[in-house]
Amino acid sequence: MICERCPREASIHVKETVDGRQREFHLCAECARESGLMPLVTPPTFGLESVLQNLILSKVGELVGELSQRICPVCGLKYMEYRGEGRLGCPHDYHAFEAGLVPLLRRAHGATRHVGKRPRRTTAPDSLTRLRLRARLRVAVAREDYEEAARIRDELRPREADR
Amino acid sequence: MNLEDLKRTSGEWLRGTGPESDIVMCSRIRLARNLADFPFINRAGRNEKAEIESQVRSALNDPRLELSYLDVNAMGPIDRQFLVERQLISRELASAEGPRGVAVGPRENVAIMVNEEDHLRIQLMNSGLSLRDVWEQINALDDQLESSLDYAFSPLLGYLTACPTNVGTGIRVGVMLHLPALVETKQIDKVFRALHKINLAVRGLYGEGTQAFGDFYQISNQRTLGTSELELIRNLSDVVPQIIQYERTARQALVNERRQVLHDKVSRAYGILKTAHTISSEETMLLLSSVRLGINLGLIDDLEIPTVNELFIHTQPAHLQKIQGAELEVDERNVARASYLRGRLSNGRHLTS
Repeated sequence: MICERCPREASIHVKETVDGRQREFHLCAECARESGLMPLVTPPTFGLESVLQNLILSKVGELVGELSQRICPVCGLKYMEYRGEGRLGCPHDYHAFEAGLVPLLRRAHGATRHVGKRPRRTTAPDSLTRLRLRARLRVAVAREDYEEAARIRDELRPREADR
Repeated sequence: MNLEDLKRTSGEWLRGTGPESDIVMCSRIRLARNLADFPFINRAGRNEKAEIESQVRSALNDPRLELSYLDVNAMGPIDRQFLVERQLISRELASAEGPRGVAVGPRENVAIMVNEEDHLRIQLMNSGLSLRDVWEQINALDDQLESSLDYAFSPLLGYLTACPTNVGTGIRVGVMLHLPALVETKQIDKVFRALHKINLAVRGLYGEGTQAFGDFYQISNQRTLGTSELELIRNLSDVVPQIIQYERTARQALVNERRQVLHDKVSRAYGILKTAHTISSEETMLLLSSVRLGINLGLIDDLEIPTVNELFIHTQPAHLQKIQGAELEVDERNVARASYLRGRLSNGRHLTS
């Protein structure tokens, strides 16, 4: 198995449960050391195994804890939901979950920057606003707040009328 | 064009022409694209999917594109399966829910899925090894769609996709190869291991997770970020001729060392296909693969490659049911398949010459 942060072989494997979801962690010794998950000098193994396991668990818990709390402010997807389903909720997630996605992109693609085709025109500046409005609309419809839903639809309309 | 028209024709990519078409069934490129101001599909509600579909459909409506839109949401399971067998939609789109569909070009070389994992999955296929041509055509098509659709794009990460494994170029460049001799000589795993090492994926005829059948394999790029489309095409174009060469060498070895055994296998396969009265889909694929190899080695001379290519598709369950115009159970399908094969193969030149 490959380390989650670099192409080396993973040698530290940790299981933990966050928000009722079980998750596994795989790091190479070097990355584990860098994150303070392993002491710089390999300790004698006698009887210390469980102590070491506890140390790793507490540190990894902190690391994942921070990311696992993240929620995309635009579409409302939780980082841990993404890790469970493997699919993002909206284009803004790439920004909201950057800290978690960058190591993953490096692992999957060996790169973190796009090279190649670009659209001739840039994405419209109000796209993010419109994404937010759509999220609010979803909530309003779910709450059966039709007045609010109608207001949001009016706000969304102008660009659709341009088309 | 509708489904009834489709069942009477077959895709241009099956016509068995183009460079190296004895081994390369087709070259295919797909692009994943999303609209900037909608959530990705797994967070989109029914209304949003309907809006996405309507915006995309109006962009696809341009008469110059000559596309026909098929509403997958309104179809029954057999029709959806028919499109999967046809390589026009994925199994994922077939089994998804809510507003979704596919726009198909007149010769079936273009298929644009709407509301699959991404808002748009644009696919272009040509017969034989012609990745550069396919790229030029799909690039122009993408440019045209982009002029009326606002794509989700980041200068840093490229085209933004629902799954980060497609982000960047959003491209999958692939070739579908017929490799019966490498399978027969048990060298295929060695080839696959070598391909994995250079970050190329190997899949069966129907994409991710499907078993290869009829000795057809799709080879495609895995990485989409950090390497340009042309570079990815070049990588694959450099590797494919080597696989073709391995397959040719293996075929030659079979001819030199086991000619009688090979000829016997090919003739028996052809014989069974022409005379059987009940036959499963799996057996049909296996035998058609031998027959296809036999034609390419000159062991069968009264049957043409496009016919065999078409039979791989037309003998599948949903195709048989569409052709028969009735729902059939497995046993009934096996009888219908054998009857269809006898009909198609008895028209070969061996009867008339």
